[in-house]
Amino acid sequence: MEAIQKEYERLIKRANLSKSINDVEHCLRLLENAREAILRDPTTSKMTLVKLQQAMSTGLSKVQDDHKEIYTGLNRYGKALDKTFKAVSTYSTNDYDALTSQAPLIKRAIAMHLIREGQFSVADFFLTEAGPIDVPPELQQEFQEMYEILDAMRTRRDLSLAIDWARQKSAQLEQRGSNLEFELCKLQFIWLFIERPERAMAYARREFSRFQEKHLKDIQQLMCAFLFLQSPEKSPYSRIFADPEKSWNDVAHSFTKEFCSLLGLSAESPLYIAATAGAIALPTLLKMASIMKEKKTEWSTVNELPAEIALPPGYQFHSIFVCPVSKDQTTDSNPPMMLPCGHVIAQESLQRLAKGGSSVTLKCPYCPRESSLHHAKPVII
Amino acid sequence: MSMSTTKLNAESHLLLDQPLLRLPHELLRKTFKTSQKHFERDQNIIMTGVKEAAAKAMAGGDPEDPVASLDSMITRMQGLKRKLESLHEDEKVLQEHSRKRISHLQDLYNIPSLVDEGYDRWSRTRLDRLLVDFLLRAGYGESAKKLAQEKQIEDLVDVDVFVQCARVEASLRRGSTVECLAWCQENKNSLRKMKSTLEFELRLQQFIELVRAGQPKEATAYSKKFLVPHSENHLKDIQKAAALLAFRPDTPWQPYKAMYSADRWEFLANAFVNTHHNLYGLPSRPLLHIALSAGLSALKTPSCHSSVASSSSNTASSTTSLCPICSTELNDLARHVPYAHHVRSSVEPDPVVLPNGRIYGRERLEELASKLGLPEEKIRDPTTGEEWDRSTVRKVFIM
Repeated sequence: MEAIQKEYERLIKRANLSKSINDVEHCLRLLENAREAILRDPTTSKMTLVKLQQAMSTGLSKVQDDHKEIYTGLNRYGKALDKTFKAVSTYSTNDYDALTSQAPLIKRAIAMHLIREGQFSVADFFLTEAGPIDVPPELQQEFQEMYEILDAMRTRRDLSLAIDWARQKSAQLEQRGSNLEFELCKLQFIWLFIERPERAMAYARREFSRFQEKHLKDIQQLMCAFLFLQSPEKSPYSRIFADPEKSWNDVAHSFTKEFCSLLGLSAESPLYIAATAGAIALPTLLKMASIMKEKKTEWSTVNELPAEIALPPGYQFHSIFVCPVSKDQTTDSNPPMMLPCGHVIAQESLQRLAKGGSSVTLKCPYCPRESSLHHAKPVII
Repeated sequence: MSMSTTKLNAESHLLLDQPLLRLPHELLRKTFKTSQKHFERDQNIIMTGVKEAAAKAMAGGDPEDPVASLDSMITRMQGLKRKLESLHEDEKVLQEHSRKRISHLQDLYNIPSLVDEGYDRWSRTRLDRLLVDFLLRAGYGESAKKLAQEKQIEDLVDVDVFVQCARVEASLRRGSTVECLAWCQENKNSLRKMKSTLEFELRLQQFIELVRAGQPKEATAYSKKFLVPHSENHLKDIQKAAALLAFRPDTPWQPYKAMYSADRWEFLANAFVNTHHNLYGLPSRPLLHIALSAGLSALKTPSCHSSVASSSSNTASSTTSLCPICSTELNDLARHVPYAHHVRSSVEPDPVVLPNGRIYGRERLEELASKLGLPEEKIRDPTTGEEWDRSTVRKVFIM
């Protein structure tokens, strides 16, 4: 990148048309002056023209030099690009593109991404221009509601819409084991407490009784903060009130996650996660592809990538089970099986161990315990 | 834990971003070449004019004669200056694009790791760029413009280039070669260097249309003028074209049937787009495809299309988040890509199994039970909602 930067600086400083224009202007002046001189005194015309011929020749060759300099500058800049991106030429020939034939699905993914990111007007353009696209009909309305609520939280520090929503959905949230409603009310209390403690007291009296059964401890802590109103630095509860900005962000994040989950969607845009993971994975995949091309081998399993790809933490969503015997990942047709001793191996490995049939005793590969195929039980990771 | 990393290697991370700098560079080169062409032509004419005027004066011509020829030279010179000035304006815009793009890419070098907030922001801008690129290639120029505008990334995307490309492409699909031939003329030298056959194919199409229209004389004349100059590389094709004169448009005989076919327009449109992208250093496939197919695979697990809901990633409880591949947006799209390779199991710590065979980390079960306010001895399955006695929970060993 440094090389590119350097060549770029050179380009704008030296290799651009402004110099050529100056030198063209100079030639223009030569012509004009010659014309005037001849008009003024036609008898000098011979000498003027001879001089002009010489001056023009020099002047124009200067313009030519200016052009040469641009040419050199552009070439050097181009070479800096080549050098920085030299690995890239391979990606147009690799075959990581199962997607060309999937245009409707990609369009759907994009439309849903635009909607969930709150880009409603772009989404409208897109649905008109590229439609019809199979997007759930209610989706836009749902996310409009979500952004209204988030916007109220972010710009006006207003939680009422969010709390109303959480109350409306309390049965579903309850079922999911979500404490969102309490989290929202708690933040409301914290916010009031920081600004106007007397209103926080009134708020707590009005709202907290409903949460007593499940959140008594939290409520006690919040209420004890009143005892330290005069000397908050001594309060053992100061940390609850210490970073309201973070509390707002955390609550907004929980709200978004719950909202999306109730719609059956992941909390972050899948398109964003996948494109980012892709950019991180690409160098490894390209390296693999070029190694395999060199060695003229192919992947042993088309279903699985040939190399492990390291992604940042937070990009693993599922637990992974790799059979310790066969080193295969388990699938629907080869599920993980638990032996009575609690060790888990893939079904195919188990069947290999129990060559003789389901009643043959087999020893667990990891402990001395013996059992048989029909004592093993499928598990779900 | 499975293999994970937070290391950001900016150099290799920019694989997708070459066109960002390549395109303005190619456009700058084009601007330069145009300027050079103008200059070279005018230079010759003016120098010749000056020499002639001087020679005439030496030969004792009318001393007032040179004024008229000087006037015409001045006009020409002024014209040249105007042309260069206008090109210089284009040049400034392109250089400004390059500057902004270099600084955008440079930002990545200053981000310490993949888990930095700055990376998140950078990667979101990248996604917006990839989306605009996709929309432009798919011919959805208005959506592309709108997105670029709203995200304020107009300097990082090349709407105009793609819109022009789409215009020529559309004209070919409509059955017109005019726009595309003009484009070939504009880029004559580069196309010759690339050994592009696009122009020949367009000329051939024109010839075919004349034959189809029942104008053999005109067709032959056209062939002489426009096809024969390509005979060095296309002799066979020219012979084939000549033979076409003997076949009617409804002929069942190949290859003449194919030559008359309307599919050739589709072929020309695709050939043009490929040539165009090649010329500007643009990859032939949308960058979004490249990023997505790599990303889908890197994230995909056998659980993502399993008939059984995954215990570790679903929307049934607040203790899990749904995997992006399992979410509606990408699930069908990821169906046919390979899944990620793992060499080690990676499960939640302290895994236990419930009587229904579902495996969870003990802590997650505890967390859910406490959030639900369940009685001390109870546990609830976060996925199925079944409740069990704690005594039925068994330790399981994942190696």
